[in-house]
Amino acid sequence: MSEHIVSAYDAELDLLGRKIAEMGGIAEKMLSDAMDALVDFDADLARQTVAADPRLDHLQREIEQNAIQTIARRQPMAVDLRDIIAAIRISADLERIGDLAKNIAKRAIIIAAEARLPRAIIGLKSMHENAALSLKDVLDAYAQRDVERARAVWLRDAELDALEDSVFRDLLTFMMEDPRNISFCTHLLFCSKNIERIGDHATNIAETVYYLVTGEELPVERPKGGSFSFEQHLPST
Amino acid sequence: MIPTNRAGVDLPAKILVKDLNFFYGDSVALKTVNMSVYANSVTAIIGPSGCGKSTLLRVLNRMYDLYPKQRAEGEVLLDGENILAPGQDVNLLRARVGMVFQKPTPFPMSIYENIAFGVKLYNKVSKSELDGRVEKALRGAALWNEVKDKLHASGLSLSGGQQQRLCIARTVAIEPEVILFDEPCSALDPISTAKVEELIDELREKYTIAIVTHSMQQAARVSSYTAFMYLGELLEFDETTKMFTSPDKKQTQDYITGRFG
Repeated sequence: MSEHIVSAYDAELDLLGRKIAEMGGIAEKMLSDAMDALVDFDADLARQTVAADPRLDHLQREIEQNAIQTIARRQPMAVDLRDIIAAIRISADLERIGDLAKNIAKRAIIIAAEARLPRAIIGLKSMHENAALSLKDVLDAYAQRDVERARAVWLRDAELDALEDSVFRDLLTFMMEDPRNISFCTHLLFCSKNIERIGDHATNIAETVYYLVTGEELPVERPKGGSFSFEQHLPST
Repeated sequence: MIPTNRAGVDLPAKILVKDLNFFYGDSVALKTVNMSVYANSVTAIIGPSGCGKSTLLRVLNRMYDLYPKQRAEGEVLLDGENILAPGQDVNLLRARVGMVFQKPTPFPMSIYENIAFGVKLYNKVSKSELDGRVEKALRGAALWNEVKDKLHASGLSLSGGQQQRLCIARTVAIEPEVILFDEPCSALDPISTAKVEELIDELREKYTIAIVTHSMQQAARVSSYTAFMYLGELLEFDETTKMFTSPDKKQTQDYITGRFG
């Protein structure tokens, strides 16, 4: 893409991109650390993860401020306009991903105190791999403006929904086996929900990248993999 | 390339430009331009300096006839009739297709006479009818309230923005079908510009409007369709919202985002 005649305009857009990259890096690390803390019952790592969150919030506000100022200053058109809107949307999704990872870390602190049933965590690790890969891929897709990569992330969300289903069933089984598992497994249920939500936010980002590059929207209906589609649970008449 | 609108619906084209070539002496200024100006809507023509946008506008009411060594080839159909054909009544054409220029050009007469002059040229009207036409034109240009108590003051005594609206009033007074605007706000302050844009929005319901503008933002604000011209060619033509959010051609995007001038 050639440069603007006014170089300061390019500098403003580049700054937005760099801050998104920084937010992305922090969010990825928070997710990875939160999962490690959960799996290893490592309360210290969990506390470090929680402490990383304010930087993410701060960056999101900076990005919004910068974006608004650029809109006022430049009256952006076409790809520049989509670029700035994308930065606003993606920063919001990354900030939420950070919050969700922070919540996983908080639960890891609680679980570490009463470690039991490591095998209950196995399903969560699979979910985490899917979500972490989607997050990494979508951040790359944004940086490279790569539509195909974004679409692949968008399609992968169905797998995560399916994984969440099986984790749900596993955790239910553990809880039914032994009431002493209930507290531990309930925390893990929340964690699985958080990972699924992280996957959703990564998918949001994929949709934004698609719009940024093509100027068009992906379909409203995402591919769904879970059994929690509403229609299945309606009583038949 | 005769475009229809995005929904594929054939809109009535008030003016149809077909294979238009234009020459200043030996030099080619417009190359095979094909374009529709749709009825009762605003079409903006944008492009870098020297792209031919004013040249194109001035073909639409044969203003170029006034200058030697300027010639057009091809067809320009107004309601299906070729205005470039020999034997066309050019004065009648210019009554049907009015023009407002960049620099306000009030006649050195009173405000009243500025409007009345054109009306009297084409119509036999009584004094009271004339008064009515003048008032209607001034109201139509959103100027009546500002000048109703000084209709016999000179047109030149008005501010720049008011003079421009006087020129618009003068144009609508003879009840044209099409109004061409050639950078109408370039010499105006922001408030006058906003008033003229508001006026264009109102005029669109009764007239077909084409506007050449250097301001991307103005084109985005006032028009439904935009034509991007570059080096004498029509490079892209589309609905304004599409053109300014995701244009098809790289050169269009480069121009509207300020990547080249």
